[in-house]
Amino acid sequence: MNELLFFILIPLVTGIINWFLPIILRKVLTFLSTTVGLYLVFSFYQTAPEPFILFNETIFTINSLGLFTALFIQILSFVILIYSLYGVPREIEKSFFYLYPLTVAFCQSVVLSDNSISFILFWGLSGLTLYLFATLGSTNDSPVAAKKTFIIIGGSDAFLLMGIILLYILSPTSSWSLSSISSNLDNNYSIIAFVFLLIAAFAKAGAFPLHTWVPDFAQNSPVESSAFLPASLDKLLGIFLLAKMLTQIFIVDLVVNLILISLGALTVITAVMMAMIQHNGYRLLGYHAVSQVGYMVMGVASGHPLAFAGGIFHMINHTIYKSNLFLSLGSVEKRTGTPDLNELGGLGKNMPLTFLMALIGALSISGIPPFNGFFSKWMIYQGLLNKTSTLSEGYQIWLLICIVIAIFGSALTLASFLKFLHATFLGKKTEKYKDTKEAPFNQWFATGILSLLCLVFGVFAVVLPLKKLIFPLTETTLLGKPEFIGLYEPVNLLLLFIIIFLVGMIIYATNARVRFDEVYVGGTPAFDKYRVSGTEFYNEVRNFPLLKAVYNFAERKYFDLYELFKNFTLWISEIFQKAHPGLLQLYLLYLLIGFMIIMLLL
Amino acid sequence: MILPYYIIIPLLTAFIISLIAGKKDIYAIWLSFIATTALLILSIYSLLTSKHETITYTMSGWKIPFGIVLVQDALTSFTLVTVNIIAFTAILFSINYIRYLSSDWKYYALFMLLLTGMNGVVVTGDLFNLYVLMEIALFAAFALVAYGSRAEEFEAAFKYAVMGSISSFMILLGIAVTYSATSYLTMAKVAEVLPLVDKKVVFWVGALFIAGFSLKAASIPFHSWLPDAHSSAPAPISAMLSGVLIKALGIYVLLRIFYNVLDAPEIFLKAFLVLGTISILIGVFLAIGQWDFKRLLAYHSISQIGYILLGIGIGTPLGILGAVFHLLNHAIFKGLLFLNSGAVEIALGTRDLRKMGNLSKILPVTSQTSLIASLSISGIPPFNGFFSKLIIIIAAIEANLPWYAFFGIIGSLLTLASFMKVQRYGFKAENVIEVASNKIDWRMNLAMILLAALCILTSMMVIPGIREVTLDPVVSVVANKTEYIKLVLGGLNEN
Repeated sequence: MNELLFFILIPLVTGIINWFLPIILRKVLTFLSTTVGLYLVFSFYQTAPEPFILFNETIFTINSLGLFTALFIQILSFVILIYSLYGVPREIEKSFFYLYPLTVAFCQSVVLSDNSISFILFWGLSGLTLYLFATLGSTNDSPVAAKKTFIIIGGSDAFLLMGIILLYILSPTSSWSLSSISSNLDNNYSIIAFVFLLIAAFAKAGAFPLHTWVPDFAQNSPVESSAFLPASLDKLLGIFLLAKMLTQIFIVDLVVNLILISLGALTVITAVMMAMIQHNGYRLLGYHAVSQVGYMVMGVASGHPLAFAGGIFHMINHTIYKSNLFLSLGSVEKRTGTPDLNELGGLGKNMPLTFLMALIGALSISGIPPFNGFFSKWMIYQGLLNKTSTLSEGYQIWLLICIVIAIFGSALTLASFLKFLHATFLGKKTEKYKDTKEAPFNQWFATGILSLLCLVFGVFAVVLPLKKLIFPLTETTLLGKPEFIGLYEPVNLLLLFIIIFLVGMIIYATNARVRFDEVYVGGTPAFDKYRVSGTEFYNEVRNFPLLKAVYNFAERKYFDLYELFKNFTLWISEIFQKAHPGLLQLYLLYLLIGFMIIMLLL
Repeated sequence: MILPYYIIIPLLTAFIISLIAGKKDIYAIWLSFIATTALLILSIYSLLTSKHETITYTMSGWKIPFGIVLVQDALTSFTLVTVNIIAFTAILFSINYIRYLSSDWKYYALFMLLLTGMNGVVVTGDLFNLYVLMEIALFAAFALVAYGSRAEEFEAAFKYAVMGSISSFMILLGIAVTYSATSYLTMAKVAEVLPLVDKKVVFWVGALFIAGFSLKAASIPFHSWLPDAHSSAPAPISAMLSGVLIKALGIYVLLRIFYNVLDAPEIFLKAFLVLGTISILIGVFLAIGQWDFKRLLAYHSISQIGYILLGIGIGTPLGILGAVFHLLNHAIFKGLLFLNSGAVEIALGTRDLRKMGNLSKILPVTSQTSLIASLSISGIPPFNGFFSKLIIIIAAIEANLPWYAFFGIIGSLLTLASFMKVQRYGFKAENVIEVASNKIDWRMNLAMILLAALCILTSMMVIPGIREVTLDPVVSVVANKTEYIKLVLGGLNEN
């Protein structure tokens, strides 16, 4: 059998068989199939498999971008599966373990598809499983979130469909192969097709202005699915499509690049501002999952080889640290029963391993060297700065503003993760959570793998992921070979950190005079209500005169494209409904008018 | 010859039911169940064995122009299968459902008359005969809409009757004009003679038929009877009306007359395009604001009919393929959705989406099947609605009509939104309803599961090998336009 088909059929068949199995076998089978998939995808790097052909059309084939994305889909699925083996809520466990392999199969099929129709089909199917995951949520708002998610995702599929059909009409060879299409943005059709494909990519990846489903999904769905789809697989797919569009399908000019970069910068800043003021941990992470997409878009859309490589690198880094963060918070939530930052606190001592993993994740996302998030952001900035030097004056300022916004966003990310860490793991504990236990083995093991990846991809960035995977990939695009302008030595830096840390520990050990004590208010131990939870850190920001108004608007969802369209649709619907009051005379009048018009026209 | 059986079986069943079933309903149930099963088997059998030849049958041996001809080609068999699938599942569903309204043999007798009319319209090759059978179906439908005998149902039935009669009058006028111009009523003969007569006649006839049959098909602006009628009727009847009646009486006849008889003049196709697009958009906008489950579904029928009209209007073989495929798919998923609504109404006693909730726990089968149907109608892969809409949209762009494709996309998006609303409020809402007031029995569940399985199975019809034996012959019948004349008249001369 064709290897590629086999690779896709394994999880697909697993998903279908799982329907009929008891839960324990579902877990075993899913684990086995994911492991085999992991082995296969590594073997594809050694020997490229034959394309899969059906009805004289190439359905699945491998190219460097697809294989790279497939590799990380498989790695992430494997790690998140380890986390999910124990701890998924009992009532949704059964559905979870048949949706999981199906999702893997659909996502892999998307990245390996060469045929447009199968691409649309599997893209839609991956959105469908996303919806089904969302309906598994147990919070009160989960039906609303599921509905919103699927309207945005499923709706953007419709645009993808139209975009791809337009491309098909445009391409002179008139075959359904995605790789044979190439188009300049020089006529109306191709511009429309570009915008439609962009809508699909942005909705999937969760970029401004189609991002609004991500925080809702993160808040209301099972945490494993948030880590699995919006934090990793959907990012991979969305950015995969964007990269494919910009490097293989369309030939874009500078203005398009700059517009996309600006959208990226807007994504970064708006989402991180929203993230700062959140009280629900999942929602906070959800907004960050949006904000980070901004960097990827900036990198991938830059048209500069180094920034492109940085964008791709940031994409995988993000999937790693963001799923790490989601899963760590998930462990906390499973032990305490709430992701509400107001109620948590001081859990670092109870759950030291989880704290460590979350800390590494938070440092990575905030872009602190030597972790991976720093490296990829730094590549993006370098590439973009280098690009500015080639531009004319006006464009230079435009691009510089975008870069400054992105850097500012990075600082705010750090700020908001300080709040997150403090509110969850530091500060004073509430009575209720005094006896919270460490997360089970499989959970901290999974987050541990992810944390290790954060560190490895940060320290050995050049040797491992970049030289082996990303640079060869970038070279196959039209952009050319990425060159570093300045390089920093993460290994030396790490050593420096370790030395400083050791020195600090020695000083601490030699003259430690630390006294642990209760917090007192007016002579008596402080009540729970005087506890500082950390969620109020940025209330100042929330109350800045101008920002306050903006935040108020945002909380009333005036900036949510989905809400705007919803209101608009309902308004039109109301007008039409007023025209149908149930009066027979009126209906007969419509009939008559319709008949008259037809008679007149003919 | 099996052709007359499509009319004889249900007609005879209707008479026998009213004769002998006065005492016991169980006879009526068994009789109608056997009749629909027989029809389903017959129609599938003839679809598979006819090898897509055109078969004709002259009633009681009278030669045309005096006699009546029955014609069966691929389009006929295809529509017959569609009609009879829905009829079979609707009867299966009715057995228990109708007991909650009133335990009555009249329901089954009327149902059989409805089926007689629909099957008859599809197999007949004679214009006036078509009119008569259409009226049989319509009168049965009026009575069935009022079957629940509440005030609103009578009102709906009355509106339906008034508007239906007006359109029937237009159609009759059209037939009269045709007859006076060509002196024939047999469609094949009419088609043969029509090119020889004055062009103005074609326009007159065409305009009258468009208005008349568009009302039967419920395209905007001739739609206003539909939401009332379809939401007031008992659920299996709504499934029949929305699923197949508007297609057998509306779309099928439009295809037959405008393609096979009138040779698809450009200007009428344009009219279909415009009617279709308006129906898609206005229908879906009307639907999205509804809170009554069945009314929402009824408005969606208008919108989905719009897609079929759009496909017909595009006029390329691909467009017709999409339209015909969507016709079958819409019958299946809309039938299923109406059965779902019936099950919910039985279980909870309400059609208001806001009062439902927690249905995934108490009605697992209804909830799962409604999810499948909702995804099908919204055009989500791998369900059938996705493929037919995909084909229609590809056809529109290929025919250089990108704006129509765009409106199709927008309609599809809004359809998705409104069915997400159904799912969110109807099946997953916060309202905690612990127990259903009435149980859904296995026959209702079976009917829903059958249709849900078809939602997935029919999407197999896009696979080239299967498409060649199912959909392609239908498309060739329609796309070859007046080839029909030769096939029918050739068949008649052989007899």
